[in-house]
Amino acid sequence: MDNEIYSFALRTTLNEIQNLCPDIKNSFIFKEDGEIVAGDENTPEKTIVRVIDSFDGILEKAEALGGVEGITLESSKGRVNVCRMNDFYLVTVTMANADKNYVNTITRVLFPTVLKLVEKINSAPFKNESREPEPRPEIHIPEAMAKPAEEMPIEEPRPERPTRTLEPETKPKLTLPEPQINQLIVENIGGLLVPSDTVRIDNETLLHWQELYEDRKIEEAEIETFGGQSTRVKIKPIKDSKFEGKGIVQMPEKIQNALEIRKGELVRVKPVIE
Amino acid sequence: MVKKRKDVQHVVALTEPITAVEEATTANNIRTQLEDIKNYEGVVGYILRNSSSASIDLKDPTKIIDYAIISSSSIDAGQAISELFDLGQTKNVAVEGKNVKMLSFTVEENKISIFMDKNADSEKILKKLRSL
Repeated sequence: MDNEIYSFALRTTLNEIQNLCPDIKNSFIFKEDGEIVAGDENTPEKTIVRVIDSFDGILEKAEALGGVEGITLESSKGRVNVCRMNDFYLVTVTMANADKNYVNTITRVLFPTVLKLVEKINSAPFKNESREPEPRPEIHIPEAMAKPAEEMPIEEPRPERPTRTLEPETKPKLTLPEPQINQLIVENIGGLLVPSDTVRIDNETLLHWQELYEDRKIEEAEIETFGGQSTRVKIKPIKDSKFEGKGIVQMPEKIQNALEIRKGELVRVKPVIE
Repeated sequence: MVKKRKDVQHVVALTEPITAVEEATTANNIRTQLEDIKNYEGVVGYILRNSSSASIDLKDPTKIIDYAIISSSSIDAGQAISELFDLGQTKNVAVEGKNVKMLSFTVEENKISIFMDKNADSEKILKKLRSL
């Protein structure tokens, strides 16, 4: 993927993030050397350049603080947040009444995930290229990013399988499709009558699973952390409408403790098909 | 006309010393609070400056110049960016480094930066500073 497509994918992501979270008024990404990587459609390049210039003095002397990880500017009418992600700085401007936690979830969890995804997809064609002299496969990132973010709990890219171009392709057996893996953000679930072995997931995701495995009843899911812990839990749809469509899995504290995770972290969730 | 001019000069002559005294008093109050904050767990020092004076108290004096530049840059950046995005008056700027974090803000003419370890309780410091 060349820089232009990479930048386009990130710009689309920024725009979609703003659709998902209208509290974010402006957002853009720049590199440590001041190069603009991508900016949303609301922020003129001239403004971005001036902001980067303003941060110059801080970033130049950042070593004295051990390198800058983040900058937060609070003003009477809003907030500017600069968050470092690998070699990038993501800048977001929000209004004073914005939900800090929600904005942080998006900037510190969702965005790095998108970055990783884009990088993974970026590296995939090159791996194939050395083995297959066929034309490069089309990259579907822009379309995927163009989907409203609410509709896309991030799907884990399927692991690459080695392709042997000389061997005849084996016909797929008539078996059930591979369990779909979703990456969801952990949210607490409280209350006295909350069963400790059950998590709550978007109804939309549950319906989607049900469509995939029509004749199976899906009552359980497997949750896997990025630290390698996993567990099987019962699943129910999310009750609280404010958590609907946000790529969230509501999880009781007991399960969070067992998986050694907490609110705001990402987990992989896939249905158990038996 | 001449008389009027004299009146204006007189007013100016009267207000200037008062402002200077007020400024000095505010700066002294802030310095007292900062001395108190300096004893909080994890705080490594502070920089306080206004148009007439500057106080720097850092545990590691080799970092004075770097910290002074970051302090000044962060306050200037805060004002410039607030104007750019029409965010009103800057309340504070926090710069989080891997080892040290810095909290900068302005009280009247006084520009203040507090440096602390990454794990220090900056909320506690902010609360104290809001009372200034």
